[in-house]
Amino acid sequence: MVSRREDNAQRIAALDGTAEQRNIRLGMGIAEARAMHPDLEVTEEDPDADRRLLEALADWCDRYTPLVAVDRPDGLYLDITGCAHLFGGEAALMDDALRRLADQGFNVRAGLASTPGAAYALARFHSGAIVSAGDEADALAPFPLAALRLPPPVRQGLESVGLRRVGAVLAAPRAPLARRFGPRLLQRLDQAVGAVEEAITPRQPVPALSVERRFFEPIGGTEEIEQLVGTLSNTLQPALAQRGEGATALELALFRVDGEVFRLRVRSARPLRDPRLMQLLYREKLATVGETLDPGYGFDLVRLSVLFAQPYAEIQSDLIAEPGDEATTVALLVDRVEARLGHQVVVHPVLKASHIPERAVVHVPGVAEATMDPTEVGPPSLDAFSRPVRLLRRPEPVDVTAEVPEGPPAHFRWRRMHHRITRAEGPERLAPEWWHDPQARTRDYFRVEDRDGHRYWLFREGLYGGERSLFDLQKEDEAAPLEGDAPPPLQPRWYVHGIFA
Amino acid sequence: MAMHAAAQETLCALRREIARIEGVPPERLTGGGAKTPDALDDTAVLVRRDGRGLPDGDLLPVGVEPLDTLLGGGLPLAALTEIHAQTARASGVAAGFALALGVALLSQTPDKRLPLLWLGTAEVFSEAGFPYAAGLHRAYGISPTQLLFAEAPKLSDALWIGEEAARLPDLAGVILELRGNPRMLDLTATRRLHRRARAAGRPVFLLRQSAEPTPTAAPVRLRVEPAPATLRQTLTGPLQGSLGPPGLLLTVDKSRAARPGTFTLEWNPHERRLQARTFPKQSTVPGPVVSPPANGSDLAPPFGQVMDHPANWRRAAGG
Repeated sequence: MVSRREDNAQRIAALDGTAEQRNIRLGMGIAEARAMHPDLEVTEEDPDADRRLLEALADWCDRYTPLVAVDRPDGLYLDITGCAHLFGGEAALMDDALRRLADQGFNVRAGLASTPGAAYALARFHSGAIVSAGDEADALAPFPLAALRLPPPVRQGLESVGLRRVGAVLAAPRAPLARRFGPRLLQRLDQAVGAVEEAITPRQPVPALSVERRFFEPIGGTEEIEQLVGTLSNTLQPALAQRGEGATALELALFRVDGEVFRLRVRSARPLRDPRLMQLLYREKLATVGETLDPGYGFDLVRLSVLFAQPYAEIQSDLIAEPGDEATTVALLVDRVEARLGHQVVVHPVLKASHIPERAVVHVPGVAEATMDPTEVGPPSLDAFSRPVRLLRRPEPVDVTAEVPEGPPAHFRWRRMHHRITRAEGPERLAPEWWHDPQARTRDYFRVEDRDGHRYWLFREGLYGGERSLFDLQKEDEAAPLEGDAPPPLQPRWYVHGIFA
Repeated sequence: MAMHAAAQETLCALRREIARIEGVPPERLTGGGAKTPDALDDTAVLVRRDGRGLPDGDLLPVGVEPLDTLLGGGLPLAALTEIHAQTARASGVAAGFALALGVALLSQTPDKRLPLLWLGTAEVFSEAGFPYAAGLHRAYGISPTQLLFAEAPKLSDALWIGEEAARLPDLAGVILELRGNPRMLDLTATRRLHRRARAAGRPVFLLRQSAEPTPTAAPVRLRVEPAPATLRQTLTGPLQGSLGPPGLLLTVDKSRAARPGTFTLEWNPHERRLQARTFPKQSTVPGPVVSPPANGSDLAPPFGQVMDHPANWRRAAGG
């Protein structure tokens, strides 16, 4: 029995058959139920766990159709249009699903109809029934109003005027119903009988293509799965060729015997069609998920889907020359690295028009467009040594001694090492980009060389005598009428930002 | 047959001796058997019994003549080369040297669009900084489109990417940057990298921070230390207190010729090549080149001299 807090009282949210037989009803107070039967076992409701379970079930139901929607808190919609013949007909599909779920220990009910509304009603009040298109009104007529998915106030209102069955509501004149109970009621009625189209919202995007294989003897080994990817992608290839497309994102769904579903996704920078390459990408992916992918008693259904596809440029191979080996290109290496180690591992730099050093370069995942000409970037600057070859992730604060406050530093201490500066060039003053960051302060950059010949890029943030950033000025404007004493100016701070060659 | 083998052995020993005297890698000695390039044969790093050598195209000249002579024509192109920096601070200089080699490499590659992959562990990049494409573009003229950076979370991942990348002929070269002396980077690991580089015909530069020299399969190991930069050259001579072309001290630690050598090199950004450091001679003409004007303003003062001072302005304004 599960309890839930409702209106400041613990009430019963769900109960099993045994409890029902002992005259306990839904919505009854826990205290009352305990008074009747002191030996009740009560558990606090856990909506998160319920949701997770329902999601897991929805994942499992993917084996029947890619269109699975979650109907909170306790239902699932499966759109089996065009899938039923794979399981020997609609009835066989429903029986199979009910049997398998019952084997897993769930108490399930199902209804099959051509509208989600009618299926909802059947699942709750006449499990196992199949209603063909057009018969919904007759089938639903004897059901109570709960079958209509109405908001509680509307339902209570209808019941209070004596309309207790769906049939009675359907027979009643529509105009007064709409006036009294709102358009929502008519919408639900129309949806149930099929007068209005209702779409379910599938949880997963529907893949463009997918191939699957079922096993009587579940498989579990990583090598087996990898080989299977090869076989499945071989089947996928003609379909992709027919569409003139290649896959840029693939998903391998592994359905474990006990209902757990694993999804492994790989992406590719270029459209893929070659089964060998797909297998190669999955080899890397499987190598990394190796430990987390627990085959348990094995997988009985494996599906490979193409999530995204792009037009595939056919390249005519030369008659004499060897066919180009795609397996050796840099793009494939990047894809494999991404499949194994994740996004953002391999990047290429792009220069941006900004004089703030850390904003002047952004790193974009993947390989640069091959069409770009290296000379387009323009010639290197005249002052070749003004920027370092390595930039620290973020400027690291250093303790600096300078001869004159505004002058170049004489010593600095960085990472517990003392550096005596022999020569310094600078300052190169970089004004802040106030349109990005109103709190930024002016930086004075110095190139310095220590006694051993190491060269660093140091900067002093802020000016002596107090510099006011745009942010400070705005604050002062707000506080201007007070004419109070201004906050003490921030002292300049020193940082090391880069290392020169 | 036994006679023949013994004769070969003697010939081999003699060849090795001549190589030692001449300071040339033994397999680069001309004469002997047929010269069939066999890039895949790993024994190329050893003295060959039949005197087979590598074709000349498989070398990457550094561009500094004494260094190239010492290395026997340049660094091996299809091989692993180790470049050591003793501290994390020196990794800037080491990176600069590797980039100089990268520039030589890019200019040698027929297809100018092949990218250079710079790969390191997250530890290395957080310690010594991430390669800064704007700086590389300015100082080395390497276009950002020719650069690929990879940051591997762990050493094993970095080695995996390195091995996979070393196999690709589609990369101009690979710079693999690692830190310290991890146990994983042993003779076997370097041999794997070296073999793949040989097979692909592209070099792998193993840049190592704060590492002790350990047995390696790389035929060449270089040590890079920083050297003070020279002064900037201006029209009126060197500018005092300025930082000019960066210098570096290169020590050849291990090479096939087994001749030690230390060179002071600096990067010439205008010609985009490394050069041996030369100290500019003083002008042979004493005094200014242009005769002073008879009547008119004085000659322009040397660059960098303070012409006026704000204090003077104030005095001028007050008085």
